[in-house]
Amino acid sequence: MAPILSIHSFRGGTGKSNLAANVATLLAAEGRRIGVVDADIQSPGIHVLFGMSQDAMRRSLNDYLWGRCPIGDAAHDVTSSLDEGLAGRVFLVPSSINPSDIARVMQEGYDVSLLNTGVRHLIKELGLDTLIIDTHPGLNEETLLSIAICDALVIVMRPDQQDYEGTSVAVSVARKLRVPRMVLVVNKTPTVFDVAEVKERVERAYGCEVAAVLPHADELMVLSSGGVFVTRYPAHPVTALYKQVASCLTA
Amino acid sequence: MEARASALVVDDDPINRMLLSKSLEQQGHRVMMAENGLEALAALQAQPFDVVLLDVLMPEPDGYEVLARLKEDPGLRHVPVIMVSALEDTQCVVRCIEMGAEDYLPKPFDPVLLRARINGCLTRKRLHDLELEYMEQVGHVVHAAAAVEDGAFRPDSLDRVAGRGDALGQLARVFQRMAREVELREQALKRQVQQLRIEIDGARAARQVAAITETDYFQDLQRKVDELRPRSEAD
Repeated sequence: MAPILSIHSFRGGTGKSNLAANVATLLAAEGRRIGVVDADIQSPGIHVLFGMSQDAMRRSLNDYLWGRCPIGDAAHDVTSSLDEGLAGRVFLVPSSINPSDIARVMQEGYDVSLLNTGVRHLIKELGLDTLIIDTHPGLNEETLLSIAICDALVIVMRPDQQDYEGTSVAVSVARKLRVPRMVLVVNKTPTVFDVAEVKERVERAYGCEVAAVLPHADELMVLSSGGVFVTRYPAHPVTALYKQVASCLTA
Repeated sequence: MEARASALVVDDDPINRMLLSKSLEQQGHRVMMAENGLEALAALQAQPFDVVLLDVLMPEPDGYEVLARLKEDPGLRHVPVIMVSALEDTQCVVRCIEMGAEDYLPKPFDPVLLRARINGCLTRKRLHDLELEYMEQVGHVVHAAAAVEDGAFRPDSLDRVAGRGDALGQLARVFQRMAREVELREQALKRQVQQLRIEIDGARAARQVAAITETDYFQDLQRKVDELRPRSEAD
């Protein structure tokens, strides 16, 4: 069975979706077939990085969860939006950006166990080598399930006071769910920080490997918002850091 | 009226030394005399002069050699030299100018011509000194930029340049202020990262973990986790 990677953060705005999209693209560049599920149903966004418009979103994860279609129908091949010459494929299962769909999820919720069934069907149906789940921030039922079913968990955090405690809660909960492999990614790190020092302190504080320390820079914010960074800036030092995360997860 | 300057009169002839000195003192300058080239070189090493009046024909070392040594010395080459000699040989004048002399004064000297040439020399020297000082202070700002890059910048290293009333002074003041602001911000951020461990409230985090893990949903999930991750064993 193909491994499932969950990309999680305790708080929003940590750069979780960017990391998921970039890791997916780097793995596909190595010839893998990658599935990406946007499980952040309350605030979806990863489809933007793959250049998907609302019109192009025929079916979404919401349709599957509400029994309107099999999950395979909600998978969109977004490889061409990345690079026609990519050796592998990237399939995205987006969450609906229709406001009424989001409102319905907020009010009614959904049967989270369907998420587990769905990702397994998706792996078989599309012949995936790896499936990546971009989770909703925080620790609710669907994110706990995403953690429980994954083979590797990436917790993205920012080096600021608001993230420290929440990340420690997420790490502890993941340990109780016996996640086979867990790494931290420190994102949006001020450039004045010493990267080695941040890595060492975070690893010591959480007792968990840090896969990469990504910098915060206005330039990066602008570059990252328009698409998948690693395809647009393959020689950028940040691309090397994304590769570091990808190889850490597949090692 | 030109400001007072310090002049060195070098001549082996005591009458000429005295005449030149008197004339310069009457113009308001401070004068020191040397009766040969060696005395002149020693005096130049001992104290700064604004101008040197140098006789060409003297016992060894003669005026040419003194001029040559002076122009070879990085610390003295900018001191203006007016060659003084009874010689009216154009070749001698050309040689001295080519060697770096500022001007040439024939003997017997005309006090009016002496005043004009001294004043001209001093004006050029003052402009040159100002230019040197300016370049030196530009160098301080350039070094300060390199020090910022190396993390070794001290804001007080630019105090002298910042005291200038011109654009360079303004640049130094802005640079100092920005460097101080960046330094303070960096210090605050470094303090923050240093506090990483102590800022995690372990007890509160444990309560939050318990609030999640004690729920029925979580405990059910925990029981099923091996079924949910079948590949861990299968692979």
